[in-house]
Amino acid sequence: MHGVKRIRQSAQVLEAKRLREKAKLDDYLSLTQDVLSRKKSRDWSEEALQLTSRLLQVNPEFYTIWNYRRNIFLNGIFPRSSLEEINDLITKDLSSTMTALKAHPKVYWIWNHRRWCLENTPNGPGAPGEADADSWRKTNWDRELFVVEKLLDADPRNFHAWNYRRYVLASMPVPRSAKSELAYTCRKIEANISNFSAWHQRSKVLTSLGESSGSVPSQYLEEEFNLLRNAMYTDPSDQSVWIYHRWLMGAGDDKKFLENEIEAIQELLDEQPDSKWCMESIIHYKRLLLKKHPNEVNTKTLLLDCKNLLEQLEILDPARHQRYQDIGSDLI
Amino acid sequence: MTSISSSLQLAIPLHVSYIKALGDNKDDLTYHLTAHLRMNAVYWGLTALCIMGHKEALPREETVEFVMSCWDDEAGAFGAHPDHDAHLHSTLSAIQILLMQNALDRIDIHRVVKFILSLHQPSGVFAGDSFGETDTRFLYCAVSALSLLGQLHLLDSEAKERTVNYIVRCRNFDGGFGSVVGAESHAAQVFVCVAALAILDRLDAVDEETLGWWLCERQLPNGGLNGRPEKLEDVCYSFWVLSAMSILDKIPWIDVDKLIGFILSAQDLEGGGIADRPGDMADVFHTLFGVAGA
Repeated sequence: MHGVKRIRQSAQVLEAKRLREKAKLDDYLSLTQDVLSRKKSRDWSEEALQLTSRLLQVNPEFYTIWNYRRNIFLNGIFPRSSLEEINDLITKDLSSTMTALKAHPKVYWIWNHRRWCLENTPNGPGAPGEADADSWRKTNWDRELFVVEKLLDADPRNFHAWNYRRYVLASMPVPRSAKSELAYTCRKIEANISNFSAWHQRSKVLTSLGESSGSVPSQYLEEEFNLLRNAMYTDPSDQSVWIYHRWLMGAGDDKKFLENEIEAIQELLDEQPDSKWCMESIIHYKRLLLKKHPNEVNTKTLLLDCKNLLEQLEILDPARHQRYQDIGSDLI
Repeated sequence: MTSISSSLQLAIPLHVSYIKALGDNKDDLTYHLTAHLRMNAVYWGLTALCIMGHKEALPREETVEFVMSCWDDEAGAFGAHPDHDAHLHSTLSAIQILLMQNALDRIDIHRVVKFILSLHQPSGVFAGDSFGETDTRFLYCAVSALSLLGQLHLLDSEAKERTVNYIVRCRNFDGGFGSVVGAESHAAQVFVCVAALAILDRLDAVDEETLGWWLCERQLPNGGLNGRPEKLEDVCYSFWVLSAMSILDKIPWIDVDKLIGFILSAQDLEGGGIADRPGDMADVFHTLFGVAGA
């Protein structure tokens, strides 16, 4: 359980609660028994299906009943239904799981059932080659992005929703462009620069644009650094920005880049002399200079700069002092 | 009233009674609504008791019989509760419980191994059950289960390579790991990936410096650990983050005393048990991870 406040309840209050719940409990247990025994006897009827709906409404985490429901569809109901009827049933389940997700946005089993529904949407209504050969699937898949956007508006860090978003984008019959996804992540970041999930998604989209090289194509870099510059100045204490910046800087092969960014961060540090993240980043990039361009830099000065900053960090961020000490030892 | 400063010790007897009493809740609706977690809950409770040196608080025979009553003979593995479908997660918990109770001989190892290997995907990840949800959590469950059964060698070198490659593909720019390829780094997924790599003897696939950094930045000013940047602290991350850091030998990179102080302040010093954070309701999941951390 997460985020449930502890309340001290007297014995009387607890007893009253127990009595109130007794009827609910008895109902729940008898419903469960009914459904599980039908499952055992391989009951794939319409009636069984309705009972699973009832049970899952009360307890959407009861994974065995989701399994049973799907088996009822596959073994009992679909074989005696037309493709249109199957699509209707699937569309209904998509609708009811949307309701369930609003109340339980982090329950894996509900998300799983949605995927199953999408993947089992039949081809049609038209025959292959006809204009509407894929309309049912297109409709269901298009709606998914809308569903996921609603859930991400409600909780922009919900990783179930982000994973599902990636799944939908990768699987939709008519794919969306990488550019439109970049724009979506930008909107999320502008709404809250702390949204690491959005920064993470951005890193994936940019990497995909780099295709085989795996690195971000240069035409996107300027926009990224501008975005980061704004974010850094808006909230220098937000770690999302700095973690992302470190990735964008890459392995340090471009000396000019490193030096430009170090200078920019130093300017920010001058304004915010207690900024742990400015110090941490400058140390990291100066280490990269030392590692990748040892013959083109003033080694002695850089080492001294790093040691100086590390000493400051040990005082500023005492919880992590050992790491700063370890880095210092490595520098010698 | 409890105050944060008074909770300086792990209240072992209280937590032992708390765990012992969990099975007495048969009148409680919540108890029945969580039947799908029962196998895991028994594992969490038993492990916490073992760590606290009170394994005997859960009777051995009863525990073993409960595990065996969850055997799904159609699938050849364990479900979470009698008549619940087999799943990799409950199967791992079952194996762990039987191991702690010296009762592994009760398992049909051949069938369980068959079940586990049947869930190995071409991509290298494992599904949780025949319905196909994939997640690095299940990869860890599979690798750990095989290892505990002494059957890890049944993952031949091709299968092992495939598994490791999947984990590598889940590695993110921050050094962390996600639940599937493309997913955001999350401390629990970091634990399962790093632990799986450790079992497979492939820790070379970890960028130790970057991940160590990401992990140590999970510590918040109140001493607690979070699971991702800018999220709240939670006692269960004491285990996920700390275990990963332990495997990477980076525990000194956080303030351990402060973490312990945080965990102890999340104890329920009246009813027993530990919660996700101070002031919240205790549960057996957080009790285990708090005890393990402290």
